[in-house]
Amino acid sequence: MGKDITIGQYYPADSFIHRLDPRTKLAGMVVYVTTLFFLRDLRLFAVAFILLAAAVALSKVPLRYMLRGMRPLAWMLALSVLFTLFSVTGTTVLWQWHFLKITETGLTTAIYLGLRLCFMIPGTCLLTYTTTPTAITDGMEKMLGWMNKLGVPVHELAMVMSLALRFIPVLTEELHRIMKAQTARGIDFQEGSLPQRVRKLIPLVIPLFVSAIRRSDELAMAMDARCYHGGEGRTNLKPLQYRGRDRMLQAGMAVYMIGMLYLSVKL
Amino acid sequence: MAGRRLAAGRNDLRFSCPIIAERRERVIMKLIEIKNLIFEYFRRDSEGAVEEMVEALKDISIGVQQGEWIAILGQNGSGKSTLAKQINALLLPASGSVVVDGMDTSEEELRLQIRQCAGMVFQNPENQIVGNLVEEDTAFGPENLGLSVEELWNRVNDALSVTGLEEYHASQTSRLSGGQKQRLAIAGVLAMEPKCIVLDEATAMLDPEGRQQVQKIVRWLQKERGMTVIQITHHMEEALAADRVFVMKQGSVAASGTPDQIFGRKELLEECGLCLPQLYQYLYFLRGQGILSEREAGRIRNVEELSSVLCRRYLEKGGEIEKRVRGRGNAGNLSTAEEQRYRCLTEGIWLDHVSYIYDKGFAHERTALSDISLGIGRGEFVTVIGRTGSGKSTLTQLLNGLYQPSEGKLYFNGVDSSEPDFPVKLLRQKVGLVMQYPEHQLFADTVEADVCFGPEHSGLSKLEAQKRAYEAIAAVGLPDTIYDASPFQLSGGQKRRVAIAGVLAMQPEYMVLDEPAAGLDPRMAAELFGMLRRLCDRDGITIVTVSHSMEDAAEYADRILVMDRGVVRMDGAVWEVFGQPTELEKLGMSVPAGITLLKGLSQAGADVELSRCRQMEICEELARVLS
Repeated sequence: MGKDITIGQYYPADSFIHRLDPRTKLAGMVVYVTTLFFLRDLRLFAVAFILLAAAVALSKVPLRYMLRGMRPLAWMLALSVLFTLFSVTGTTVLWQWHFLKITETGLTTAIYLGLRLCFMIPGTCLLTYTTTPTAITDGMEKMLGWMNKLGVPVHELAMVMSLALRFIPVLTEELHRIMKAQTARGIDFQEGSLPQRVRKLIPLVIPLFVSAIRRSDELAMAMDARCYHGGEGRTNLKPLQYRGRDRMLQAGMAVYMIGMLYLSVKL
Repeated sequence: MAGRRLAAGRNDLRFSCPIIAERRERVIMKLIEIKNLIFEYFRRDSEGAVEEMVEALKDISIGVQQGEWIAILGQNGSGKSTLAKQINALLLPASGSVVVDGMDTSEEELRLQIRQCAGMVFQNPENQIVGNLVEEDTAFGPENLGLSVEELWNRVNDALSVTGLEEYHASQTSRLSGGQKQRLAIAGVLAMEPKCIVLDEATAMLDPEGRQQVQKIVRWLQKERGMTVIQITHHMEEALAADRVFVMKQGSVAASGTPDQIFGRKELLEECGLCLPQLYQYLYFLRGQGILSEREAGRIRNVEELSSVLCRRYLEKGGEIEKRVRGRGNAGNLSTAEEQRYRCLTEGIWLDHVSYIYDKGFAHERTALSDISLGIGRGEFVTVIGRTGSGKSTLTQLLNGLYQPSEGKLYFNGVDSSEPDFPVKLLRQKVGLVMQYPEHQLFADTVEADVCFGPEHSGLSKLEAQKRAYEAIAAVGLPDTIYDASPFQLSGGQKRRVAIAGVLAMQPEYMVLDEPAAGLDPRMAAELFGMLRRLCDRDGITIVTVSHSMEDAAEYADRILVMDRGVVRMDGAVWEVFGQPTELEKLGMSVPAGITLLKGLSQAGADVELSRCRQMEICEELARVLS
């Protein structure tokens, strides 16, 4: 199970998207996702799809790799679509069976929601696939620097996020190891009733927690030893700098957003 | 234009001045000066009440010169790591003082400078990497120092070239091997341009090759850059390279001196729970037997020298030169494939042309084992050696049914494991698997509950499970007072034993252990292997261990498997395998000192029994032939 969690994992390649400034990518991602929420027309969704497809193609991240990473989210997607489908009430009932009914509004809302999620997930993932956690952190820190004045510990939050991303593969590997060890001691995680299965999680979760705590302890010590003292006075090996391609893309995204909003109001 | 060049030149001059000054000072100044250092902490119970006060360091006074290489030895819990953390100002003295390069660690505003001056490398490579890419992680320290971008890159490039990681500069840190990760940790420290590097058991989790690489880098740094090295280690061989050795015992320095002085005092080391490096053990023995004089023994630096001295001694004694090869008769037949197959197909585990491929069918599939045929029979004690990534761990997980062969077949007592009605659960119960660092899988509130976990899940009654748990706890040599203790409060060695008891309580006929002694100090490792040997001899449990220590393999195993890139390259009795040093060297392995000595004598014509590989046996042979 754990091996499939490629979501959020940087995919090393040298592409146009990889070379963009993380701030451009972050802003682009936010613009793309917010725009999606205003769309109420399938033609506009097609435009959004073309943009996404172009970005994926430019990123050189293999489609199969991306899809595999998103598989765990497919369930969530299906559930939320189904839930919307049956829960949104409207005047025109299309189909009914006992208490279950589908209305026209429900159907369209569900379709739009499904499409939005389908576009949003790869759109967001593309950011993490093409940007190292360190770069994302740096980007967020720079972009949200003004919040420091409001008392938000921007640097610390960014550091926490980057470390969390860095330790995802470490902890998944650990989970695998613990699972194997407990299997070797006679537990079969595949069988049993639901409550039984839940109880079987205890020998997995507790060692995992203990390990995570031990690791964070050691990591904190190691960071201390390397003179870490918060964001103050810290410099950066790869200082962020906007280049021509960033300006170009930022302009493009602005046009996209304005155009899409205009059209969705118009249509 | 010219003016600027001149200015640049003057700049260089200014930069070089402190270095000259520093060199002049180096002779007289102590880099680290520790005076009457005491450190204590409170141990609290689960309610937070103070249980006891632990005196981790008791009145320590030592001084270290710039450019010295110091090794610190001591049992687990003797205070070595605590001392190291004092040097880096990660811990602060309760009383007394620690002064690093003229800076007192108790002064808060100097703390960053002290940490920059004395860099620290920790044991677990995984838990000290911050960055995602190699170059980013290397830059983490200097970034904290607030250096300019240009200077950052200079330092990163220099540090990566010293540690041999240039080609990986843009790789993801999570893709590196253990040895590479540890070199990266060193690079991260180097990039801060420290005067002193503290290695806190930095080689404990590495294989022999990784260890050697780290050792080589450290030696280079000390020699070429005049860096002070403080190395905490359980590997006595590493301490041999040091200028001075400190031996710690229960929070104080029990002895200090050159390696020769320290390793000449066997009783003292044993009192501190340590053991001599193998070479010194033999020197000590030979001196005790009157075969070597004190002076002769003092001059010998390595096994080759000792071997040639012994051969000369033998020939001087008028030993007749006759080529007799003994010991070939009985043990030599053990490894003939046909017989092995026959025996293990009746009772035992037989792997028939087994391959194992990770992520089969994907673009990144990786062959871990290819076409292996071997058997493990009842009552054997087998040790698997080989480089990291040679497939040892995969092999252990195949034996226990966690993995199914991708190709080929596994027979357990003659039954094919790929048959649909094959009892996988029975295999897992009969073949107990103890993975690396098994104590990380403990989870229950009490030792008893944790050990009972396996038996209870295999459907035994609570009472029966308890009975088995008590037996298992006794078998691993723990007292019955431990039943109600929390496994998380035990010492490292005890935790390891509890974890092994958890597998033993399943009453397996085979036990497969992946590096059972990793991270333990020499005495605990010896006790653990002694216990496994007992389980094999007394209870008839087949033992398969994976090990990085040739010495342990020679001392405890009956049979050795050498793996390389997914293939079993050598398989035979201990003396057979270790009798082929050139072949072993090609596979990245070495031969224990004692076996080299016997082999040397045998080649000189002495009538020694080569199949006697245990240290005691070797000593007896040496005494018999030479006195």
